[in-house]
Amino acid sequence: MYIYDEIDQRLVEQRVAQFRGQTQRFLKGQLTEEEFRVLRLQNGLYIQRHAPMLRVAIPYGMLTSKQLRTLAYVARRWDKGYGHLTTRQNIQFNWLRLEDAPDVLAKLATVQMHAIQTSGNCIRNTTTDHFAGVAADELINPLVWCEIIRQWSMLHPEFAFLPRKFKIAVSGSMTDRAAVGVHDIGLQAVERNGIFGFRVFVGGGLGRTPIVGKLIKPFVEWQDLLTYLQATLRVYNLHGRRDNKYKARIKILVKDLTPEVFAHEVDAQWQLIKGGPDTVSEAFVTSIAGKFRWPEYDLDTEISETFYFSQLSADTKFNRWSRTNVHPHKVSGYASVTISLKATGAPPGDISADQMDAVADLAEKYGFGELRISHEQNIIMPDVRKSDLYMLWQELQLLSLATPNIGFITDIIACPGGDYCSLANAVTLPIAEAIQSRFSDLDYIYDIGELDLNLSGCMNSCGHHHIGHIGILGVDKAGEEWYQITIGGRQSGALDNHLGHGLAHRARADAGAGGSGTDSAGANGAGAAIGRVIGPSFAREQIPDVISRLINTYLRLRDSEEERFVDAVHRLGIEPFKKDVYADPLFSKSLTLSKETHV
Amino acid sequence: MFEVTPRLLRNGQIELNEALLFDAGAETNGSEINGFSGIPPDQKHWMMRLDAWLEKRELLLNRRFPVGIFISSDTDLAATLGKQGALLQTGLFQTADVAFIAIDFPSYTDGRGYSLAQLIKSIYGWHGELRAVGDVMIDTVFYMARCGFDSFLIKEGHDPQLALEALGTFTEPYQKSYQLPGVPLS
Repeated sequence: MYIYDEIDQRLVEQRVAQFRGQTQRFLKGQLTEEEFRVLRLQNGLYIQRHAPMLRVAIPYGMLTSKQLRTLAYVARRWDKGYGHLTTRQNIQFNWLRLEDAPDVLAKLATVQMHAIQTSGNCIRNTTTDHFAGVAADELINPLVWCEIIRQWSMLHPEFAFLPRKFKIAVSGSMTDRAAVGVHDIGLQAVERNGIFGFRVFVGGGLGRTPIVGKLIKPFVEWQDLLTYLQATLRVYNLHGRRDNKYKARIKILVKDLTPEVFAHEVDAQWQLIKGGPDTVSEAFVTSIAGKFRWPEYDLDTEISETFYFSQLSADTKFNRWSRTNVHPHKVSGYASVTISLKATGAPPGDISADQMDAVADLAEKYGFGELRISHEQNIIMPDVRKSDLYMLWQELQLLSLATPNIGFITDIIACPGGDYCSLANAVTLPIAEAIQSRFSDLDYIYDIGELDLNLSGCMNSCGHHHIGHIGILGVDKAGEEWYQITIGGRQSGALDNHLGHGLAHRARADAGAGGSGTDSAGANGAGAAIGRVIGPSFAREQIPDVISRLINTYLRLRDSEEERFVDAVHRLGIEPFKKDVYADPLFSKSLTLSKETHV
Repeated sequence: MFEVTPRLLRNGQIELNEALLFDAGAETNGSEINGFSGIPPDQKHWMMRLDAWLEKRELLLNRRFPVGIFISSDTDLAATLGKQGALLQTGLFQTADVAFIAIDFPSYTDGRGYSLAQLIKSIYGWHGELRAVGDVMIDTVFYMARCGFDSFLIKEGHDPQLALEALGTFTEPYQKSYQLPGVPLS
């Protein structure tokens, strides 16, 4: 965990003071709504359906027990007793009062937290692999680089008012779990001649124009990372479109200029600042790494392993949970655990204040008081001794946090949808619950195998539906809620994007990065892919049946149990799936109804 | 003609804004001043648009009152001033002939001016006064100052005194290649 020094602490406190002043001026009528709008957004405050929503930054998904308890306190004191984990490793509170926001931010600052740049047209919270620092397949530790980028991007004076929001993701592993192919900038660590650096993908993203990032620089040495980012952002800031917010993301600029011309423009800017004051020195990297509190592992692991294996064979339920929710660790004798926030009936990613407190306690009891948020909206306990897994599992069961479904169809990614969000066209939470209820038989979902099901309430795509193996998008037509289905999306390289399910997973040596430079679904395996629409949209109550039919088609056509749903879609194309779904007389009505309305 | 309420932050003071943008069209249609078409009279206060200034540059040397240059946020500096290399010549903007360079913020959410400021200072070698004009708020002067602006025409409705104080909002920000307000990088 990165520990603030005085400078870091003073900055967040000065930010609170600044925002308190701005809020007071707004409430006194000295700032207009239009003037205040962007200022509050850059402090994480949206105006939502019910009340202002506050999005609190969890830099690169890393959190301490103490911080989580403070979030629980915020949830109880200023909200309705719960929070919502987002697909960008942050947490949102949906029921705040604007007047209270400065006090909430001041409280957060006491535990080295803030809401800076969690929304607005600026550089957002940098995200990474939720197993960063503990994954067995790491080339570099992305946490240190994420912190370097956090400092560089926080309150950046030149890039606070970009054409549109800007998201950076970092992957330090051979297997990309950070989805670098669908970010404005995706950084994939690579090694060349014994020197490490980054492959730079630009212009990936979801939203209404989903596209995978283009490789504009195959190798930037680590020393040059910040100047290269600065050059990229400068080209975007100067030339990105500002006349149409739907064409303002960097992906449109890259597309309009072509990736080659864009790369050339960046290079021209880069030559002017390369080697300048923002060049990263070895001393700087060492000083940042030195400000992290790293776990002190107990290396006497033999007992730990033996104990764990005896419990695995003694308890089948525990064994099942281990296979899905326990992940390999770089230190033998340790494992990482995913705490599933995807129990049936609970809104995906929601966590109550009581659960926050309990998880904070568990992280101290069975770890080093550290936690991670995954972009799949679950919580990770990164460092658990294997001999403690059984007791941890028992405690999680009592808290309803031991759902053994990580990486399976019920581990649904979903935005809050129309129940909360004023942008949404349709609700998402009842859909998620209906699907989870439909797929309630664990043996059946394990037979289906790894499947990412992602659900967004509108084309802003906060639920990342484009990169779900199955994606569901809420659309509004003539005031009615409809749902469009895509299949074949994936967030990263074809081999896998989860760090195996269970400790016995096969070692994967996928060297592919997030984007292969092409959009085409299924091209050469490596890289993220955007799902394809299967046809006209469906009514809400039809969705579970549609999903069932997709699954039945897959189970009938897969070449083996090893072939995942998404792989089968890439092998077979969408036609057989489409044909089976729309052949069902149940959907003929939807077909007629939605002919005019589907998008 | 001139404003009566001081709202220009400059050298740690709040001054009256006296700058006026020279409108070449109005000048040629009206009275001929100074004997030259297309340039303002040699009096205080005048600003010219960058393209007009470039065109009349030779006529604007050795004035008693050098003009200021006004740069709009959509200016493509490389296209206007020539590609780098050809125009990386230092000395295009000389403080003897240019009173200040003003960069316009048509809306505070239009952040191009920040990058333009960086380029004007670092690439085009301007070391004189760089002024932010347009939608300049109490809440944006700090970032502007870090990008190299040293004077600020604060928008109506925003207390210039509070804007002056806002230059001290953050004492130790992170980015090493951007100055602290009023403290040029060494």
